[in-house]
Amino acid sequence: MKTIEKAKLDSLFAQLAQNYSLLVPVDYNGLTQFAPYSQVQEGVSQLYLDGNVTVSPKTAYLPQSEAMYKFRAQGKKLAIEEMAGLDKQQVLFGVRHCDTKAIQCLDKVFLDEKFEDPQYKNKREQNIVFSLACNNPKATCFCESMGLDRAHAEASVADVQVYDFGDSFGFEAISDKGKACLDKLTGLGETASKLPDQKPQTLKFDVAGLPEKLKDMFEDPIWDEYSFKCLNCGTCSYICPTCHCFDINNKIRGEVGVKLRTWDSCMFNEYTLMAGGHQPRAGKKERVRNRFLHKLQYFNEKHDMSLCVGCGRCVAKCPVNVDITKFIRQVIG
Amino acid sequence: MKTASASDVKRINNLVPKIGVVKEILDETPDVKTFRISTPEGERPFTPMPGQLGMYSLPAVGEAMFSVTNYGDDYIDMSIKKYNDGVLTSVLHAMEEGQEVGIRGPYGNGFPIDQFKGKDIVFVAGGIGLAPVRSLILYCMRNREDFGKLTIIYGGRSKDDLCFKEDLFENWPKVPNTEVHVTIDRPQEGWDGHVGFVPDFVKEIAPNAQIAAVCGPPILIKLTLPILSQMGLPDEDIITTLELRMKCGIGKCGRCNIGSCYVCLDGPVFSQAQLNNMPKEY
Ligand SMILES: Cc1cc2nc3c(=O)[nH]c(=O)nc-3n(C[C@H](O)[C@H](O)[C@H](O)COP(=O)(O)OP(=O)(O)OC[C@H]3O[C@@H](n4cnc5c(N)ncnc54)[C@H](O)[C@@H]3O)c2cc1C
Ligand code: SF4
Ligand code: SF4
Ligand code: FES
Repeated sequence: MKTIEKAKLDSLFAQLAQNYSLLVPVDYNGLTQFAPYSQVQEGVSQLYLDGNVTVSPKTAYLPQSEAMYKFRAQGKKLAIEEMAGLDKQQVLFGVRHCDTKAIQCLDKVFLDEKFEDPQYKNKREQNIVFSLACNNPKATCFCESMGLDRAHAEASVADVQVYDFGDSFGFEAISDKGKACLDKLTGLGETASKLPDQKPQTLKFDVAGLPEKLKDMFEDPIWDEYSFKCLNCGTCSYICPTCHCFDINNKIRGEVGVKLRTWDSCMFNEYTLMAGGHQPRAGKKERVRNRFLHKLQYFNEKHDMSLCVGCGRCVAKCPVNVDITKFIRQVIG
Repeated sequence: MKTASASDVKRINNLVPKIGVVKEILDETPDVKTFRISTPEGERPFTPMPGQLGMYSLPAVGEAMFSVTNYGDDYIDMSIKKYNDGVLTSVLHAMEEGQEVGIRGPYGNGFPIDQFKGKDIVFVAGGIGLAPVRSLILYCMRNREDFGKLTIIYGGRSKDDLCFKEDLFENWPKVPNTEVHVTIDRPQEGWDGHVGFVPDFVKEIAPNAQIAAVCGPPILIKLTLPILSQMGLPDEDIITTLELRMKCGIGKCGRCNIGSCYVCLDGPVFSQAQLNNMPKEY
């Protein structure tokens, strides 16, 4: 396994930044997220490697707002121009395992055979993911319960596996893309590959049979209980690494405009409101139910995998403590 | 700025519309118009199956999903009902011929044609709901020998609100082994046809069909489905279409789900048997 001392991390980043765009986890005024390494160099934000970031790296695949095409509408004439994709490879350093699993979920949606999404695919091809195994899970982390491997990142997404050895980081190539990237780096050491110790997760439960159980619970009173406090604020869906719903809207100046897709949330009234005023999911009960069932039942039925990867973000950040883990444990009984 | 075409983009971005040209606009009713759309090269924008959908847009205004009610060698037709303060539909209704619009599709599953083959069919529709059903009716008529007796039952609020009058009163009654029954909600001067609501009319006619296609406002669908069941049609052969809010049309933006189905992908056509197994959330 290749290694670098943490004291020399800057030189590693400098090398990566020479060949690639480089995104690293940062603390920007108290909000942790992925940002260009240049922000750290300029002192705008600080490198943050203590735990997972609040805003998941899905931003590097499905940005919060993304231009899809430009248009010019002039009298009866209409012209449309597609946007160019990323032309440079981009390294994401320190993506946690749960978030690599989340990208595998997004692949099911955006790389489906029938309607593959070229803007997503472009980023999927250009991104090089250095995935860092977590030694110290937070109290809200439950990825293991959702079937994740804490020693190995999702191999279809991660390109380089990173381990934290205290004073140094170790690197192991997973993909050819990752190997090519590692091969370009100089000044790395070498060590025998004994993996670091990982503290056990405290939030643990068994989810076997959960989708099947939920199938018969659409009308269960449990939904009143879990939606009662919800504010429909949408925080849970914005920070969730697998929530992918988007709205399509415009930015227009005179005759020219840009068509954007922007994150949306099934917690919002507008999301399903129809012309004519009909609202199939009228209130918070219907919306919390839809979000939980999409995560824990619907996605399983369609893709044979859970859409909750156990990152714990929604558990930690919901302003009124709507807790999907408490819900799962209550359903499983 | 150049026009996007298949040759200058390697990968097709299904969310980016193609350019379409409005060749002809036909007034159906005071609030429904049919828009005939070709490509700038004079070709058919895409080839839909009966019941499939298209996303139609004026990019500066909005984009919405409509059934493709008919198509020819070099065009597709969409019939659109205007909402008075509807952001997109009111502007579409104010358009003139020659206007360039955005168009993408075909989307959705369409009607299960094979299941209709060889059977006597009853088509039940109300208002603009005839638009999707009409695509199936026209298909059956173009391939007349593949299908049994066709019974069409249609209603509108008043005689002015009936869509596709030329088909209803001239073209379709001439097709062999075909019956057309039309009703309006309330009596009206100059109307000597049937008066009453569609579900009651279906009961009255009691068509001896083996399969049904039903489309219209939710209340019409809700009241008609049990009548068809009582007539002995199995749930697998009662076919209807659903409408939900849509943005992408291709199963990605998330909003049109009913349980694990996306109406834009797995629908909009469902059998009663399928609906029985889905959450009642539409
Ligand atoms: C699968 C599918 C197939 C469809 N096929 C067709 C078709 O073939 N033909 C067709 O015409 N439409 C069809 N539609 C419906 C069509 O998509 C909508 O009519 C269209 O999106 C309206 O767009 P808009 O921007 O004009 O309306 P918006 O501005 O989005 O709509 C809202 C308008 O509805 C009206 N409204 C709001 N609240 C109420 C209320 N409480 N009561 C009454 N009216 C109210 C108002 O005028 C309001 O402005 C289909 C929809 C789907 C999902
Ligand atoms: S974060 Fe909590 S309050 Fe906000 S929408 Fe989600 S569940 Fe509701
Ligand atoms: S539902 Fe909550 S815990 Fe599960 S992946 Fe989304 S944010 Fe993480
Ligand atoms: S319209 Fe976007 S998922 Fe169906």
